[in-house]
Amino acid sequence: MLILILLIIPLITAIACVLIGKHSVSKYISIAGSFLALLYNIFLNYNIHVHRSLLGLNDFFYMDALSILTTQIVTIIGFASSLYSAGYMAAELHEGVVTERKLRWYYFLFHMFILTMLLVCVTNNLGIMWVAIEATTLSTTFLVGFYNKKQHQEAAWKYIIICTVGITLALFGVILTYHSSKGVLGEIGYALNWTDLLTVADRFEPHLIKLAFLFILIGYGTKAGLAPMHTWLPDAHSQAPAPISALFSGVLLNCSLYGIIRYHILTSKCVGPHYSCTLLMVFGLISVIVSIPFILVQRDYKRLFAYSSIEHIGFIALGIGFGGMYSIYGAELHTFNHAVTKSLLFFCAGNLFLKYKTTKMESIKGIIKVTPITGIILIIGVFAITGTPPFNIFVSEFMVLADGFASGNAFIIIFTSVLIVCITLIFIGYIYNIFKMIFGVSPETTVPKGEISKFTIAAMCFLLFFVLVISFYVPPLLREILSRVYDIIRNA
Amino acid sequence: MKQHIIVNSQVIDVLAVLMLMSTIMLIGTSRVKTCVWACAFRSFLLTLTSGLIAYFSGIHHIYITTGVSLVLKVVLVPGFLFYIIDKVNIKKEVESYINYTLSLLISCGLVLIAYYSTLSIVQFENTFMRHCLPVSLAITLVGFFAMITRKKAITQILGLVTMEDGLFFAALSTSYGMPLIVELGVFFDILVSVIIMGIYVYRIKESFDTIDTGFLRELRE
Repeated sequence: MLILILLIIPLITAIACVLIGKHSVSKYISIAGSFLALLYNIFLNYNIHVHRSLLGLNDFFYMDALSILTTQIVTIIGFASSLYSAGYMAAELHEGVVTERKLRWYYFLFHMFILTMLLVCVTNNLGIMWVAIEATTLSTTFLVGFYNKKQHQEAAWKYIIICTVGITLALFGVILTYHSSKGVLGEIGYALNWTDLLTVADRFEPHLIKLAFLFILIGYGTKAGLAPMHTWLPDAHSQAPAPISALFSGVLLNCSLYGIIRYHILTSKCVGPHYSCTLLMVFGLISVIVSIPFILVQRDYKRLFAYSSIEHIGFIALGIGFGGMYSIYGAELHTFNHAVTKSLLFFCAGNLFLKYKTTKMESIKGIIKVTPITGIILIIGVFAITGTPPFNIFVSEFMVLADGFASGNAFIIIFTSVLIVCITLIFIGYIYNIFKMIFGVSPETTVPKGEISKFTIAAMCFLLFFVLVISFYVPPLLREILSRVYDIIRNA
Repeated sequence: MKQHIIVNSQVIDVLAVLMLMSTIMLIGTSRVKTCVWACAFRSFLLTLTSGLIAYFSGIHHIYITTGVSLVLKVVLVPGFLFYIIDKVNIKKEVESYINYTLSLLISCGLVLIAYYSTLSIVQFENTFMRHCLPVSLAITLVGFFAMITRKKAITQILGLVTMEDGLFFAALSTSYGMPLIVELGVFFDILVSVIIMGIYVYRIKESFDTIDTGFLRELRE
């Protein structure tokens, strides 16, 4: 019952937004709804802190530290993004790009999207998790194609086709898992429940569970943006409205990764960690390497951020694959850091798009003069996302890399060395591309000076707060969640 | 009793082979509407199979999924696809990046791969699963293949439905279907995804004046 309320909040918000058509009212409802979800999640966080895990509604829901970490990210980014949406969409409405009728559905789908992502994290049933991950695709297709021009339709089509095919492959993994658990648990309805699976995972048939993990990794990996299944990601991220891109990069990818981690735990318990860790490392490294050339020669800033998401998801997969105490801790901290930092950058991208009406980097110059606040935040964000000390991403990347070198395994050390080279190259690509936009001669054309609105500034400051705090200090509550996540992943 | 099980597994084997054949027909035919018919026919055979399995095994919840799948995959989805085909007025034939002969050869190869890769799983299983799991994987792979090589948006949707059918059959043959709530959730997702894709087929036709997805090349590096 406790957990159910977390899902009811976005549902009610979505329905309220669709019923109240006026944007001047519905934007406050949307903000209030996502703020309530954020507060409620903190309350749940406290419960997890006390009880370690929560079960609800006849064992249908289950939450532990791993799920609370992901839902915490969902609600934080969800709140920031709904704040940002209020300012961004008001500007779009003012210019007549969108209509109030369309905005109704925008807010409806926005909160349904958050609902499906929360459902991924709180369900106990791995089959329902599959249904929810597929539902995240379905609820966002129209958001990707929101502006409904040729390029948006193309991105939406690619998105739904590639993701649906990928997730359909994952269904085969779910079926194989069910088959093997049924062999142990017998003819009962809850043979897909995480809590029951975990107790008997060591008695599964090894080759079945290996095959299942492979299908899950390919399937959910498509949704998580792991290369080489990532081809939908740059298109969808660059064509969706900026607040949606922020949610995509910040949380959607993490939710799919959450699914992979659950199966990683099962597989590790059954056949030992070596098999799934190796697969995670290989796919992770491929993702990091694939993103480099696109970041170096990129001409579109939203696509630049999208490719950088592929890199960071690859990095998280690598960190979990390394399997050490600090690398798993660092990788999980990295999911949080990446979510807040990347969403912040997408908010900057949204502001630039509203100001300059283009996503081409060559036509943007002198941001610092046109919108000083966005410019400064963009500089901080770019330094943070590339892992420059002392920012938050540096902290988590350093943990993973240091643990990689300390592992003593030649294979992992080679991976870590390649990773350092990759991160350096990406740093160069970023600085080269972005700094031309930030400084440079301010265009003589009439780009109106000033910020977009107080909502967008509030949203950016909210995320900037997390970026700066985690750079210097990991709060004890987060530290405790992260070490519990390590226990969950490692000890199974 | 043993005789009974053998007879019913033979009936199911025959149905499975027919399903595989109608799936390969999807690869081999050139007209879009024939492809939809082939798909609907395969879904019909699948509901027949699952009805039989429900009857022979005596597990009641399979009846429910059978009913839902009959309404959804045999009536609603093909009906919706016919509606979309008429609405966007497709005249041209199915085009593929690979010609028909080669496609057929590749799908035969996929069937072999499906048999080979499930060998280690099915060799200790009962007779009924022994033939059905490879067939279901083959249907899934052929659907996947149709999806990535066909140019028309409609045939990509058909490929997706085929994959889902294959997986439904896989769940049925390995473990008498997934838990009811999961199965219903999957059906709901399929229905919504087919509807959304149908809407996008229409929109793409409106703006690109074609539903040949090879022409979708606005977004390039």
